[in-house]
Amino acid sequence: MSWSLPRAWVHPVGPGGVSRLLGMVVLALGAAGLVLAPFVGEAMFTRIWGIEPLTYVGAALVILGLAVTTLSYFVSELLRSRRQAADEETRFAERWTQVTQQYFDLFNHDLGRPLRRILGKEREIREQLQAMGAEVPPSVRELLDEIEEQTPSFRLMMSNMQVLIELETPITGKNLHAVEPVEVVRRIVDRYSLVAADASKQIVWWSEPTDFGIVYSDSSAIEHIVTNLVDNTVRYAESFAEIGLTRDENNFHIRVWDDGPGIAARYLPYLFDRGWTPEVARHEERTTSGLGLFIAHTLAKRYGGDLTVESITDPDPDHHTCFTVTLPLHTRPGRSSGEPVA
Amino acid sequence: MPDSKILIIDDEWESAIVKAVQRRLQDEGWQTIIVQPQSQWLVGDEFEDATIYAIEDERPDGVLLDVRLGEHRDDQFKGLEILRQIVEHYPTLPVLMFTQYAQGPARDTAVRGALRWNAPVDFIDKLASPEEVVLRLRRLMGSSPELIPIGAHLLVDVGAETVSARRERDAVLAPVTDIHGMKFEIFRELAAAWYRSPGELVPFSRLERYSEGEEARASLRVRIREIKISIGRALGVQLGANDLIVNVRDRGYRLAPPQM
Repeated sequence: MSWSLPRAWVHPVGPGGVSRLLGMVVLALGAAGLVLAPFVGEAMFTRIWGIEPLTYVGAALVILGLAVTTLSYFVSELLRSRRQAADEETRFAERWTQVTQQYFDLFNHDLGRPLRRILGKEREIREQLQAMGAEVPPSVRELLDEIEEQTPSFRLMMSNMQVLIELETPITGKNLHAVEPVEVVRRIVDRYSLVAADASKQIVWWSEPTDFGIVYSDSSAIEHIVTNLVDNTVRYAESFAEIGLTRDENNFHIRVWDDGPGIAARYLPYLFDRGWTPEVARHEERTTSGLGLFIAHTLAKRYGGDLTVESITDPDPDHHTCFTVTLPLHTRPGRSSGEPVA
Repeated sequence: MPDSKILIIDDEWESAIVKAVQRRLQDEGWQTIIVQPQSQWLVGDEFEDATIYAIEDERPDGVLLDVRLGEHRDDQFKGLEILRQIVEHYPTLPVLMFTQYAQGPARDTAVRGALRWNAPVDFIDKLASPEEVVLRLRRLMGSSPELIPIGAHLLVDVGAETVSARRERDAVLAPVTDIHGMKFEIFRELAAAWYRSPGELVPFSRLERYSEGEEARASLRVRIREIKISIGRALGVQLGANDLIVNVRDRGYRLAPPQM
């Protein structure tokens, strides 16, 4: 059989331990006062006050000591249970995110399956038409193009859903790593070049300096932000869209420009609101979810950057819209501020 | 890089989507090898063995690898296990993960795992166009190859510093005689950028390095005009302002392969 002292006695110093220790000292003093009062009090105080004041002092100290000890116990218990609840909440949130992401992955994979089949068949039809060497009527070609053009929108929709799950999660950390922004932009242009070409629009990109190098950021976040901007740009451009990549001492900037009709100044304050689309303002049927710019703006802010827009509307001959995302270059731990990873 | 060998590992190798990609890779001049397990059981472990064996046997220049190999729950991320083995044993072999899990936790797990930031490994969505797959593989396998074919009528030989062209009616390419020195360097820069990413614009600042005199921009303009005249003559066509080398919004130039 074994026994041990209460943990609070053995380790009185800890959360709430200082006050508990103080309470115990006062309690001991009080008890000592009570015991010693008849001897010391008689000798020392009888003639002065005719009573034994140390008795009262001792009693008061005992009460005070008990109060402090009890209070410190309850306070530390309260703090502990709160901490436990917060830990529980974090664990639940982590689990929720994990499960939701897993379900989403399965959903994404399974939803993608019929779409892959449709897309595969469409590409096979093109192949067979080409093999037959026959002149393909423009209307048939347009129908096939339409299937191909919807694919980037579907891909973007799925990745936006994934990011939304992440954004809704109470605990999300920044996943900073070495990123080559030029390669991120290249991939996005790869994806949208065909769609733009089918719509007789041109999409180009450049970086200044041309050897842009590496930054310390989150490639996935950059890709989400810029893909949403480019998807918008390709949709609204009249004939030309341009993506430019620049950097200064502390930040890098990605500028997405199109020669579209522009966005009226009265709509600009709502542009980054969740669910807002131009159709909402015009009470028309929505053609997009209105999540893209919200996600882009939220992600840019989350990573310590910003997303701004500047637009000139038709009939001004210089009509255009230009989104600029600015993100910090960041430094690796141990590097001086402003020194890029490259 | 013509004549490159690409290994394709996908349990749905007969699907139209994989076939379309395979055809596009072949159009690029690459040899494609589909990895098929010997056993009739198409489970992840069989693919793993067959892949490692095929890499040893074929010595490919690139790998196109699915993540989910088989329908069993354990095979959901089998491709990532195979990727880890490839990275460990063949660290310089370019691998393009061709998967519906191109984003999200599966990719993050793989990236957080054995991959260095500069490992020749990339992820692409299964819904990506075959064109995107080719571009991504080109960059993984080396963005500046020795030979850069620009459509069917132009070829840049970086090593020999020559540009060859052929007319519509001709069967073989013939060297364009008067593109050399700085003119060749300008054209090589434009061709390499186009090969990496067809939408890539080469800013004036980069091309002006190959110009002389105080008026670098004007000198560059002259050289570009001369290149277009030479190549146009070799192709037997007259190249206009929006053909072959296009000035984009006075910011730089980009290559646009001639439509013949």
